[in-house]
Amino acid sequence: MNETITQNLLVFGGVLFSMGLIGFLTRRSLILMFLSLELMLSGVSVNLIAFSRHHQNYQGQILAIMVLTIAACEAAIALALVVSLYRRKATLDVSAWDELSETLMPKSVEVPSELVAAEMEFPKLTPSGLDPMERPISASFDARSGEMIEGENVKHSEAGTHA
Amino acid sequence: MLSMLVPIILGAVGYLLIQHGVVKSQATFAGGLVAIVAALLFALAFTPGTFESTILMLFCAMATGGGIGFLTAREPVYAALGFATAVLSISGVMFMQSALFIAAATMIVYAGATIIIFLFVLMFAQQTDLRNYDVQMNSPILAAVIGAIFLATITICVTSSDAMLPIRSDTTRSMSAAAYRPAAAADPSSVNAATTPLVTEEGEAAQQFVPSTTSGLGRSLYTDYLLSVELAGAVLLVATIGAIALAQRPIETQKGTPA
Repeated sequence: MNETITQNLLVFGGVLFSMGLIGFLTRRSLILMFLSLELMLSGVSVNLIAFSRHHQNYQGQILAIMVLTIAACEAAIALALVVSLYRRKATLDVSAWDELSETLMPKSVEVPSELVAAEMEFPKLTPSGLDPMERPISASFDARSGEMIEGENVKHSEAGTHA
Repeated sequence: MLSMLVPIILGAVGYLLIQHGVVKSQATFAGGLVAIVAALLFALAFTPGTFESTILMLFCAMATGGGIGFLTAREPVYAALGFATAVLSISGVMFMQSALFIAAATMIVYAGATIIIFLFVLMFAQQTDLRNYDVQMNSPILAAVIGAIFLATITICVTSSDAMLPIRSDTTRSMSAAAYRPAAAADPSSVNAATTPLVTEEGEAAQQFVPSTTSGLGRSLYTDYLLSVELAGAVLLVATIGAIALAQRPIETQKGTPA
């Protein structure tokens, strides 16, 4: 009989906790989000008291008192924060403070995983002497001599453009 | 086992319907209310039927109703009142579980201090019309699914047959243990009753120790947990200093030049 009541109260604490969770996820006003947190805390307190009754000692109740203390501290800090935030923007909307999360940055920064020296591509310098906008510079252009060269010297000229 | 999931799903659907119906239509709202009441009645089928447990479950139902009101109300003042209802019912539950001091302290701290102060702030910040961030919620369906899964997990874990631990008689904390009985210590004839295991037979009410007195709680708190009390006092002091420092108006704005 008593075990059934304890189990029911544990489920009831879970109900309170998940209602606070839903409230915290859905609400957008700062104060109501804070009250959702308090609802979650009181669900935990119900849990502790049910276990205190079950184990027939005072330890659960003492832990519930500690939870109450921390909840009071949290209320004081949260109230001060809400007041000072409201003074700045005159709104309680939590999304008004989105810019604290760096909205200008892209969601995920592409970090090159492995930079192997062989895979890196260096920028190719534009050879002087020809207008690059005029026509595409062919690979057989020798930058050192400033003239077009033929066939088998192409690789040599590419090394020259790197320098 | 699976039938215990029915009230959870009913409750989640009822929450979503009320949530939707507050803005849209009365019929949806009424359907959500019906779903919530059906979920509560369904949950009542799992509870034992004694008088004490009936009152306990009544308090639980009131707290759940207050929580649903808190979740679905669009005016923030009504939401805060729903939260106050939930907290008062929770302290009723604690009262029925013989935690008298914590029931009173919860009533004073939550309903007395927190709710009143936050109602002041709400009315101070309240405009005549509803704000957008009060009407439109962040993805309620996803949140309801998450909450339902969470609650289903807890329910399955708690109601499984081997979930309840046997009663643990802790001897390291002598003052808060169940075996501490001043009458037993004074009366030598009843020493045997204090040293024998507390629950010898299932359901024997005479052997049960109910941690109900405030004096016992205070004795346990100020002997076994004295260091915790000191630390809690330190945390309260730090929180007070932090709250005062945070809530201070900047000096530049006091002189009239915006910061």
